[in-house]
Amino acid sequence: MKSWISFLLPNDEYKKKRMLYFFSEGSIILLLTLVGMSILNNYIDIKTEVSLLLAIAIFLSYISGRYIISGMEYTDVVTEGAYRKELKHIFVRTGGFASIFMLLYLVVTGIPNSQSEWIEIIALLLSVSLLWFITSYISLKRSYKKNKELL
Amino acid sequence: MKNNVKIIRITQSITQQQLAKRVGVTRQTIGLIEKGEYNPSLQLCIAIAKELNKTLNDLFWEVK
Repeated sequence: MKSWISFLLPNDEYKKKRMLYFFSEGSIILLLTLVGMSILNNYIDIKTEVSLLLAIAIFLSYISGRYIISGMEYTDVVTEGAYRKELKHIFVRTGGFASIFMLLYLVVTGIPNSQSEWIEIIALLLSVSLLWFITSYISLKRSYKKNKELL
Repeated sequence: MKNNVKIIRITQSITQQQLAKRVGVTRQTIGLIEKGEYNPSLQLCIAIAKELNKTLNDLFWEVK
């Protein structure tokens, strides 16, 4: 079936089908959130920026959350060895991301002038890296469990 | 949907990974089909049948 959304979907037909469900569910939840917010707007003054960011965040976190929990990211991790190898990859990827992020930050905004600026950037870096690591770890753990059950 | 894919695959000494690679899906998808937790498209059913040298009847028709 031809559709412009195909470029966002994986080649594997099971994964493709599941992703389409996640996108559809996310869209319905997004629609309900927007309807809810427009009703709520009559009683509470919600800033446009806040409502827009909230809508995007809800949509993206729903789809990402469902994908992570579904355990279909690491389809070939079946053995303990493969699991440990993939865990090492996740460590390396997170470390690589943190290094590139820090480097780009320093290039774009320059070296922080005060201690508080340093703390701010390091806290941001640690939070994002930790989130990245935790989501990857959960996804790997769920995939490994699912794959073992399918042997 | 129950099926005979796993039995036939094992009798032919083919791993899930090998079958998956040959039909262009992931190992997980083959596992799900074998467990009856995912109903493959007709296109994929035919691809699996061809790889295992069996008919669709042999693999998928009314397995008890």
